[in-house]
Amino acid sequence: MGLLSILRKLRPAPEKELRLLLLGLDNAGKTTILKSLASEDITHITPTAGFNIKSVITDGFKLNVWDIGGQRKIRPYWKNYFENTDVLIYVVDSADKKRLEETGIELYELLSDDKLQDVPVLVYANKQDLPESLTAAELAQTLGLPTIKDRAWQIQACTASEGIGVKEGMEWVCKSIKKK
Amino acid sequence: MTFSLWWLFTLYLRPIIKWFLRKTTGLCELQRICYGEVNGAPRIRAVERSLALSKSQQIKQLLQHLNDISDNRRFAGTNEREVVRGAVSTVLLVKKVNPHVHFQFVRSLGICIEQIWGYRQLIAEVEALRTTKFDSDCFEHERKLYDLWDNLMPDEGLEGRVTKQWQDIGFQGDDPKTDFRGMGMLGLENLLFFSSEYQAPARHVLSHSHHPVYGYCFAIVGINLTSLAWQMLRDGSAKTYVYNTSKSLPSVRLFHQFYSYLFYEFDRFWVECKPRDIMEFSSIKDRFESNIRTSLQDGNTTFRIGVSVDNI
Repeated sequence: MGLLSILRKLRPAPEKELRLLLLGLDNAGKTTILKSLASEDITHITPTAGFNIKSVITDGFKLNVWDIGGQRKIRPYWKNYFENTDVLIYVVDSADKKRLEETGIELYELLSDDKLQDVPVLVYANKQDLPESLTAAELAQTLGLPTIKDRAWQIQACTASEGIGVKEGMEWVCKSIKKK
Repeated sequence: MTFSLWWLFTLYLRPIIKWFLRKTTGLCELQRICYGEVNGAPRIRAVERSLALSKSQQIKQLLQHLNDISDNRRFAGTNEREVVRGAVSTVLLVKKVNPHVHFQFVRSLGICIEQIWGYRQLIAEVEALRTTKFDSDCFEHERKLYDLWDNLMPDEGLEGRVTKQWQDIGFQGDDPKTDFRGMGMLGLENLLFFSSEYQAPARHVLSHSHHPVYGYCFAIVGINLTSLAWQMLRDGSAKTYVYNTSKSLPSVRLFHQFYSYLFYEFDRFWVECKPRDIMEFSSIKDRFESNIRTSLQDGNTTFRIGVSVDNI
């Protein structure tokens, strides 16, 4: 074995870059999830005007996470960020029962878009700490997730403000990419 | 490398230079600063640095005492005058300065101490507002929200507490309560101050936010600017502004004025940038922030809202 091939073996494999898209209604907790992924302080979050982006290195992947504002006025811009998305992450405020229908409609609109065809989707059932919140299983039923047949999907319960459950969701994201 | 050089300088060289200057001028470092530096931020910042580097046990104890008072927001009223007087006499005693000869120094040092620990207290006051969550069951919080509406939209009544109309002044949905988030009541108080103390400029800014191309969400951008002002207060960048503007003990009012300036200037900058849409907010905000930080590095900077009405 030559020196060159030994050196080549020692060199770490280049990280695979992934593009993750974080979407959901306003006040769902997208920015909190983004910041907790990047291990940043989450005590002074403000509503997102436009978007935030952060790169996180985990599990041999470089994740470029795009967090786009969720208010109604910004939603028409979501489609500009669909291209080359590897995984869609959809965040739901599990305690916001009044807007479950609205969040469901937005989710199915995303799933029916051609540019997001076959893209795996992870749904975060966020704010599990709130007393009136739905469990992940209840939320999956309400949103009709089991009817999704054309792609891999997963629901993950989490409390982003305490950093609970966020990592588990990202593990599924990395696994579903490796399978591809 | 630069760090160890700096360390070497402060540990060995600085005392030698100070001793030499003290012997030749007959003045201690604080006196040289108070007599030599320009009034305002340059002088106050230099006094602050000099005190922080002091190796005297008594001065160190004094600083701790002052920090404790301002962190607990007890630096006010008659207490404030007594605290300042006590602090000045400690310095006079330690540095062996004759107050009758150097009465100007006594006055000047007193002002510096008031500003330095007034600023520190301001951080604590602003933080208390920020950590107060907006509570829709609290009458006063609700009243402030209605006041904000009345200031900005005097000709239009609200149809209800939860209504789409809130989006006209740039909240995200039908109920503003979730929009304050990490900025708490500070976000609302900032907006309320801007819209009541600078009513005409605020309405002017609001009208820009309704522009068909360059429009943005007034309240949401406002809350993001609260976050910017708060960060600059905390990391000390806002000292230049406070030290140059404040005529007495810095108060929350001064922070609101700083915020109002930022909002007015941001709006102007935003329109100048001719953004394609709201998605350019982060990049334009970053550029705006770096411009403000650059001007705050200049010790002579003061900010004033230059009211001019333009049409786009």
